[in-house]
Amino acid sequence: MVLALLGGELHGYAVMTRVAELSDGSVRMGPGTLYGTLNRLVDDGLIEETTDRVARDDNERRRYYQLTGAGREVAVAEVVRLQKLVHRVVEHLPGGALA
Amino acid sequence: MTPSRTVRLYRRVLWLYPRSFRDEYGDDMAQLLAEQLREEGAWRIWCRLAVDLVLTVPARRLEAHMTRPSSSAVTVLYGLVALVGLLVLLVGGTSIAAVAVGGVVTIVAGSLAFVSARRSRTLTRGSVTAHWWKFLVGGVVALVGLVVVTTITGELPEGGWFLAMLVLLASLASIVTGLLLGLVRLGTGRLAAS
Repeated sequence: MVLALLGGELHGYAVMTRVAELSDGSVRMGPGTLYGTLNRLVDDGLIEETTDRVARDDNERRRYYQLTGAGREVAVAEVVRLQKLVHRVVEHLPGGALA
Repeated sequence: MTPSRTVRLYRRVLWLYPRSFRDEYGDDMAQLLAEQLREEGAWRIWCRLAVDLVLTVPARRLEAHMTRPSSSAVTVLYGLVALVGLLVLLVGGTSIAAVAVGGVVTIVAGSLAFVSARRSRTLTRGSVTAHWWKFLVGGVVALVGLVVVTTITGELPEGGWFLAMLVLLASLASIVTGLLLGLVRLGTGRLAAS
């Protein structure tokens, strides 16, 4: 979910669809899972609700979420970790294993 | 079932969640379901919702319970259970089973009382803990009275010893209760000050 918010602020439904996209459709969250996790991430200080909703032309009742500084650091560190992991796995594969 | 009826039904199901969570996110969850219904079939969504409810309702309930401030009544209850464990330990004598059970109950309930006291933030002047000194003084007075009476009367008959033992246990229970309540009051006072 933190990785889904790396691209910028999103509302709940957009977070859910973004996570489904990033996971190739294998992770489809229900409302309880989505908002329970968002609630925990807010409590942990990794994401925050944005406060400029009033100026939007879409549904103003939506809550938008964005990464905090700490959340961005965690997300970037996770991307780097995954990149290194994939790189290491590919390096140690015998030639033609991915073909 | 039409999407609007599905959302209405889901709003009713949301009562399974703790009130704080429902108040905070209930509208968003219903809105999210309405948006899902525009893109997917209702039966698929209900299947997913069923799994979601089974997994998340107990989790949210547990979270709400864990974060709720403990009341002084819970602290006193744990304290009394610890006290009973202590009494079993004391009167158990050479019985290993009594000592083991009493010890375990005392340690577990005492720890829970301590944790509960630390979580408690809502104690007021009129709460049970304000009367801690009454338990302490009452217990000490009963104990001193027992010692005085047994010294004056000398050898007690069999029924008298049973009564004396009951008074001894009650006075010890009162003293320990007073001390526990005093500690709880001291702990919560520090919490409130910090």
